[in-house]
Amino acid sequence: MSYQATIEPLGETIEVEDDQKLLDAALRAGVWLPYACNHGVCGTCKVDVLEGEVEHNEASSFALMDIERDEGKTLACCATLVSDIVIEADIEEEEDAQHLPVGDYTGKVVRIEDLTPTVKGIWLEVPGDGIEFQAGQYLNLNVPGVEIPRAFSLANPPSEKNVIELNVRHVPDGQATTYLHEQLKMGDELGFTAPLGRFFVRKSAPEPMIFLAGGSGLSSPKSMILDLLENGEERAITLVYGARNQAELYYFDLFSKLARQHANFHYLTALSEPADTDDWDGPRCFVHELAEEHFGKRFEGHKAYLCGPPPMIDSSITSLMRGRLFEEHIFMENFFTAADSAKPARRSALFKKF
Amino acid sequence: MAAKPRRLNLTQKYQLMTRGLDWETTYQSMDDVFPYDKYEGIKIKDWDKWQDPFRLTMDAYWKYQAEKERKLYAILDGFAQNNSQLNISDARYMNAVKIWMQGVTPLEYAAFRGFAMLGRGFRGAGARVACQFQSIDEMRHYQTQMHAFSHYNKYFNGFRQFARIRDRAWYLSIPKSYFEDAVTAGPFELITAISFSFEYVLTNLLFMPFVSGAAYNGDMATTTFGFSAQSDESRHMTLGLEVIKFMLEQDEGNLPIVQQWLDKWFWRGYRLLGLVGTMMDYMLPKKVMSWRQAWEIYWEESGMALFNDLARYGLRPPKYHEVATKEKYRITHEFWCTIYQFSHATALYTWIPTEEELDWFSAEYGELFDTVYRPRYEYWAELDRKGERFFQKRLPVVCNVCQIPIFHTMPDDPLMNCCLVSEYKGTKHQMCSQGCKDIFDHEPEKYCQAYIPPQQIYQGNCGGATLEAYKEWLHIKDEETGEYYGSEDHIMWEGWKAQSGKPADAPA
Repeated sequence: MSYQATIEPLGETIEVEDDQKLLDAALRAGVWLPYACNHGVCGTCKVDVLEGEVEHNEASSFALMDIERDEGKTLACCATLVSDIVIEADIEEEEDAQHLPVGDYTGKVVRIEDLTPTVKGIWLEVPGDGIEFQAGQYLNLNVPGVEIPRAFSLANPPSEKNVIELNVRHVPDGQATTYLHEQLKMGDELGFTAPLGRFFVRKSAPEPMIFLAGGSGLSSPKSMILDLLENGEERAITLVYGARNQAELYYFDLFSKLARQHANFHYLTALSEPADTDDWDGPRCFVHELAEEHFGKRFEGHKAYLCGPPPMIDSSITSLMRGRLFEEHIFMENFFTAADSAKPARRSALFKKF
Repeated sequence: MAAKPRRLNLTQKYQLMTRGLDWETTYQSMDDVFPYDKYEGIKIKDWDKWQDPFRLTMDAYWKYQAEKERKLYAILDGFAQNNSQLNISDARYMNAVKIWMQGVTPLEYAAFRGFAMLGRGFRGAGARVACQFQSIDEMRHYQTQMHAFSHYNKYFNGFRQFARIRDRAWYLSIPKSYFEDAVTAGPFELITAISFSFEYVLTNLLFMPFVSGAAYNGDMATTTFGFSAQSDESRHMTLGLEVIKFMLEQDEGNLPIVQQWLDKWFWRGYRLLGLVGTMMDYMLPKKVMSWRQAWEIYWEESGMALFNDLARYGLRPPKYHEVATKEKYRITHEFWCTIYQFSHATALYTWIPTEEELDWFSAEYGELFDTVYRPRYEYWAELDRKGERFFQKRLPVVCNVCQIPIFHTMPDDPLMNCCLVSEYKGTKHQMCSQGCKDIFDHEPEKYCQAYIPPQQIYQGNCGGATLEAYKEWLHIKDEETGEYYGSEDHIMWEGWKAQSGKPADAPA
């Protein structure tokens, strides 16, 4: 059993399990709410319940006083839902978020291609009006025989509404990706929910853009960059992409060609562990190292978008911050495989997004 | 006709009632109006980039705080009317409350003064408003603590004339000097010392053990004010985080200054908390958790997680944090051994822990406790049985920085006393540790002026150059000092227990 919570002023709707705390559900769904103590004594996570009913549970009577309860306030860290609710939290509205409605779709497999030895491109045809999404968003894919839907970023630009592209890395022993790599065939139908996520380009911000991507984290940057260039973007766009070896480096030709066509688009690649047989005279390093070298360790005055495996994201954030680009200018979608989420790194409340 | 005015949302209201009230001065320069926020070397390019960590306006503040007060005082009244002092675990527990009242409650007042200064001192309106609210909070915490404890003052020793002993008692210069060091620094160092190091990094080690200890030992008065205060702490803690981020993001030249402050205030805060740890370990008859365990949870896990995140700015963990971690097995025992020997010169009682408590220490602290501290307690207990309760005849030498008696031992040798000396302008100054010595050596001109109570006492500046004359000047009577067993508190407690039919505690 679960309820829905709509979070204003974002307009984002999330699922909250029966005995799950509102704050926990929001953070897991990628919606940051202010919080500190996480057990009902400090009051940092106080929100207004505009519609619906909540249970306050162990919220301290000082952190959430009776008059506040009467006024419809609750502490998100303690609140559980007894109906669908709408809350208003003290968070900033994002000018560039489009708040597109989430829907359930069925797509037919129309193309499957090996992009690298471990990454398959899968194209799904969505008939009729197709789907509307913002470049950078993802979908939740229902994989036959797998109970929980899996998240994949949309790799095509939003202008292509009827055929969507997913890049799927094979996770060894991963139930869903093994199915998609080994059993999926042309003409199969897959159900999915989309669009999801709050990773999108801050188009209204004036700064030039840096995209840092690693491994199979190229999907969102690809969609975002194609969308920007299609729409005549004139600000500088730099894509720094890293792969392990040459065989894992994909869409090299596509981005090289775009770089030739658009003077404001720069494409940099590095291999971290080139194979002996690789014909590679480019940089041999990690993404963050290549970015540091290219920008001379100064990132001030940019907006940065990160996508890739957690260690790459982690090193990139540190490089950007040491280069004086701070949290409000850094955007990312955090993706975890089932194995990653089993050992979350302990974090403090210093940052909202990292 | 004019349209009906729209109700303001929280953000708009906040903007209008805080930054909207600010202005750039014209007939006096801003530097003259705010003379102190530049001389520490912190560079702020754009005060508008200050992110208000909470959006609270004065009208909402009064409304909520008034409601908190009503609630708290209703509970305190009920507490007093029901003679709830009878519900505490044991009268020895009262010494934890005494140490709080004597040592920590005055810090709330000092914080009120400090934040009032900051509420005037910063040229950014957002920072000023946050500090003004916190200033009022601190005054409220000071008052509510005093009121919560005043009921105990009717029955127990050690609470009366707390303001005088705050000024005069030699051992209370430990907490006092922490804040006086902070308020005599510049505004950015002050807010780093209090909001970040004390309230954010170390507050879990200060507040959690004390409030849960109170709850565990049946002290509802303290527990209730604790919850009431904690509902303000969220604002204080987020202010601490914001100020660090703000300084680091505004200019890269701020990094080494901030690092030096974090090194200094971590060490000063850690030294001060040794007193709280001792209270936790020794003064709570019902134990919540040991200092060792609290250190592991709140520093080694939470504190290091914070510094891992701060590393993204180029900050490293504070100097000597690994020394503090080595000391987690001994600091509270060294502290208690010291207080035990000097409690005849304090408004506190001390005692040898019971057999059961000694076993708890053995389990929590292992071999070091069994080989070093337990034998000491057994020796002193033996002297006590012979009627020769051990007290030191003279006051101790105290550290020139943290003002704690120089009892700490070498980081790698718990049997070797650590006393380091710096010479400045022909005078020798003693410090308890490399951490404190570094602080002295960085600003010798400041610390050579420190008021060191034992030195002043023996120079005859505190009523006379003997312990007896000093105690008279302090207005401390012998019956409110020294050994707990046989004290007025103990006798009264046993009397109450006898009346209620519960068995009285046997002396150790």
